[in-house]
Amino acid sequence: MAENSDVWVVVPAFNESTAIGAVISDLRHFASNIVVVDDGSIDETAAAAEAAGARVLRHVVNRGQGAALQTGIEYSLSRGARIIVTFDSDGQHSPADLPILVAPLLEGKADIVLGSRFLGSADRMPALRRVLLRIAVFFTRLMSGLKITDAHNGLRAFSRRAASMIHIQLDRMAHASELMDQIRRSGLPYTEVPVHVRYTQYSREKGQRGVHALRIAFDYFIGKWVR
Amino acid sequence: MTTFQSIGLPLLAVLALITVVAMVRHSINARAGFGWLAVWIAAATAIARPSITITVAHALGIGRGADLVLYCAILGMLIGFFFIYIRFKRLDREITKVVRHIAIHQSERGD
Repeated sequence: MAENSDVWVVVPAFNESTAIGAVISDLRHFASNIVVVDDGSIDETAAAAEAAGARVLRHVVNRGQGAALQTGIEYSLSRGARIIVTFDSDGQHSPADLPILVAPLLEGKADIVLGSRFLGSADRMPALRRVLLRIAVFFTRLMSGLKITDAHNGLRAFSRRAASMIHIQLDRMAHASELMDQIRRSGLPYTEVPVHVRYTQYSREKGQRGVHALRIAFDYFIGKWVR
Repeated sequence: MTTFQSIGLPLLAVLALITVVAMVRHSINARAGFGWLAVWIAAATAIARPSITITVAHALGIGRGADLVLYCAILGMLIGFFFIYIRFKRLDREITKVVRHIAIHQSERGD
């Protein structure tokens, strides 16, 4: 993998005190710069992340995953990050995928690398989630024109150049579709790599409900109007 | 003059006066001020001369003047809600910028 100091991993977290410690400990085998953005948690998320060895930024009030990601990206850029990886805090992602994710950036093949569970694997993915994700992929391909197989996977890597061009404005979950629009507009080369996602009881309980899909679509379209 | 007219017309006159004062003091911009004045004048006209609403309603293919007023009120409210929602979203983004600034600034102070 790259020089450890070049790679910064941004982990947005909201009330993840039970999972965040293990996630950070696992990540530390692959990256030394881990930034947890505690998005206004009311539990011990920040303390647990700090104890596990992460730098912690605190949103004083909850602003949503998109907002937390942008905060982490801006902070990482200000600290000189060459590569920025975004990583979910609920234990769904495998830190072992980091070298695979970063490789196309190091080889100069892409500026943006998107993890795809549909190219890789997903353990115990609920059937409804699979259907919703497929719809989201179709919707994202239609709106952004990107040829992707997975739309709402939080495991992504950006070169410094790409991260500097990304400005997530949709604070909540619609940021994933907004990000795809920005990738297309940037004109930067992107690629997908197979990653592994594991659905645990915990991650299923923490994850988005099916009914939130409409809200996400609504926020996305409103976001196109509001500048 | 009916009881409703004797209550409604002075009330609208006061609202118009407040609007003019707000415009003079630059509490609201001229465009918004003239917009609100147009609303108060239209409401006053409809209350003072209800027959005008019937004429306009017929011209628009609506049966009754009261229906015209109701439709306009609903339409106005929906448009108003939409613009308030847009403004709310903009404000939401500004709050995020402040929260982000605090988060990054506090972290840098701690380093």
